[in-house]
Amino acid sequence: MAKIEVKSEITGTVWKVQCAPGDHVEAGAVLVIVESMKMEIPVMTEDAGVVETILVKEKDPVVEGQVVAVLEG
Amino acid sequence: MPFTALIQEFEERRARAMAMGGAEKLAKRKAQGILNARERVDYLLDAGSFNESGLFAASARPEVREKTPADGKVCGFGYVKGRPVGVISNDFTVMGASSAMVNQKKVKHVKGVANKRGFPMIFLGETSGARMPDRMGASGRAIIGQDGAEYQRLRKSPWASALLGNCFGHSAWYACLSDFVVMRKGATLAVASHRVAEKAIGRAITAEELGGWKMHTRVSGLVDMAVDTDEEALEAVKRFLSYMPGHHNEAPPKCAVPENAGEACKDMLSLLPESRSQIYDVRKIINTIVDPGSLFELKAGFGKGIVTGLTRLNGNTVGFIANNPLQKGGALDVDACNKVVSFLVLCDSFNIPLVFLVDVPGFLIGLEGEMRGAPGRIINWVNALSQVTVPKISIIMRKSYGKAYLNMGGGKNSDEVACWPTADLGFVDPAVGVNILHGLKEEDDPVRFRELAAQISQDSAVWGLAALYETQSVIDPRETRNYLIRTLDFHSMRLTNGVGEHLICNWPTTF
Repeated sequence: MAKIEVKSEITGTVWKVQCAPGDHVEAGAVLVIVESMKMEIPVMTEDAGVVETILVKEKDPVVEGQVVAVLEG
Repeated sequence: MPFTALIQEFEERRARAMAMGGAEKLAKRKAQGILNARERVDYLLDAGSFNESGLFAASARPEVREKTPADGKVCGFGYVKGRPVGVISNDFTVMGASSAMVNQKKVKHVKGVANKRGFPMIFLGETSGARMPDRMGASGRAIIGQDGAEYQRLRKSPWASALLGNCFGHSAWYACLSDFVVMRKGATLAVASHRVAEKAIGRAITAEELGGWKMHTRVSGLVDMAVDTDEEALEAVKRFLSYMPGHHNEAPPKCAVPENAGEACKDMLSLLPESRSQIYDVRKIINTIVDPGSLFELKAGFGKGIVTGLTRLNGNTVGFIANNPLQKGGALDVDACNKVVSFLVLCDSFNIPLVFLVDVPGFLIGLEGEMRGAPGRIINWVNALSQVTVPKISIIMRKSYGKAYLNMGGGKNSDEVACWPTADLGFVDPAVGVNILHGLKEEDDPVRFRELAAQISQDSAVWGLAALYETQSVIDPRETRNYLIRTLDFHSMRLTNGVGEHLICNWPTTF
């Protein structure tokens, strides 16, 4: 089992958090939606796993490359 | 029977060469579910079509001659789906398929024939690097470097590489020279093994971190596709070649058109969100346009704001370059620029027409991009595009903001531009535009803000572009497939039998 860090690919503001700790998520699942460039941009996980920690909440600013959630996978 | 002794010797020698590195090593691989070099060739080529070159070749050093069947590289010619190819299949059970004098001669010969006679090359990897002690000392230096064009790539015929184990040296270099690279998960591509790297950098590192599939499909971009098994990797090579011509002086092959082709395009309006703030997966749009099941995406995990893929449209190979708002809103970063340039070079070198599907909010602005030379990458793309001589058609679906308008084929950067009525030709998003042009924020004066935003949106509508004849057509999105089939037919390269000028055939394979 490895820790998987899920990062925002873009700078913006957290609009919605779409998962909770303990959720089992598949590769491609949307964990968080970031508002950026007047668009709603999903932060998706590239790997399946179980959500361990969510590091952001709604209205938080995020920068490109910032870890928004950690999965156990 | 005459010549009995000679025939017997021939049979014995052949059996020894075919035994590769010995039963024990081969059994170990089999237990791991990994094919050996000859099984890979058999799986890749049409049954019974392998014409081996150098079965009886062996090491130039007499003391290891008996231990080096085929000198560790199984080479020759054969057919994939009835079309000729050259193949190098590295036999890791023979001295780690290490590079040495005789097997380098074999590689040079097969590669040379493929280049001269016009058929693809396929490299099946796993290699440990230079053979020792052959390459040691001054005499070792005198063996290498005897072919100044060894790593020259002028894209005269398509090259495909499968990375199927530890790939250092030969397999790594040839993968990096290839037009298509597939990696079996668990394989490694690196300059040196992680054990060597650990000593060099002074900390523990795994082979996966150093050169595994996640790194190469998501970070370095050197690998186009990762799969689970050897068989899947070889299928991917065959599929790649099915889109390609045999060489640069012929058009790609035409395929049968599936019966239900064109059905899906009727649903196009349900795929594009009306609100410009909402995202979607552009691959769904590509799939409704092209022949069903024909999208073969390259570098899907790298520079994901843009999708590059080989497809078929009415049975003809067509390359698609499509912004994908699902990732980074479709904003273009350095990786996306590099990915597009490599795809432009591939398609132009092998006479494959290009279609752009445009929905781009612009280039990604930020420190990381600038530090990686974003302006240079952006202009590399436009420079390459200006030298493309295959037909280029640009469809503006939604946003085409900023300078990215040019990169995505706007104006005379493509042969024809068509817009959907949803096209939005602003320089930035209207709301951002109000802020930049009028210094007004929405909270300052919401009514005035909305008026100004509406004004900017109106100026950016498709009808202005059409009136200026900067888009030659405005089409119903559901007509996209038919429009592209007709337009690509008018633009087919009749004067040269479908062959372009290949002005960027010597573009670097990594940059």
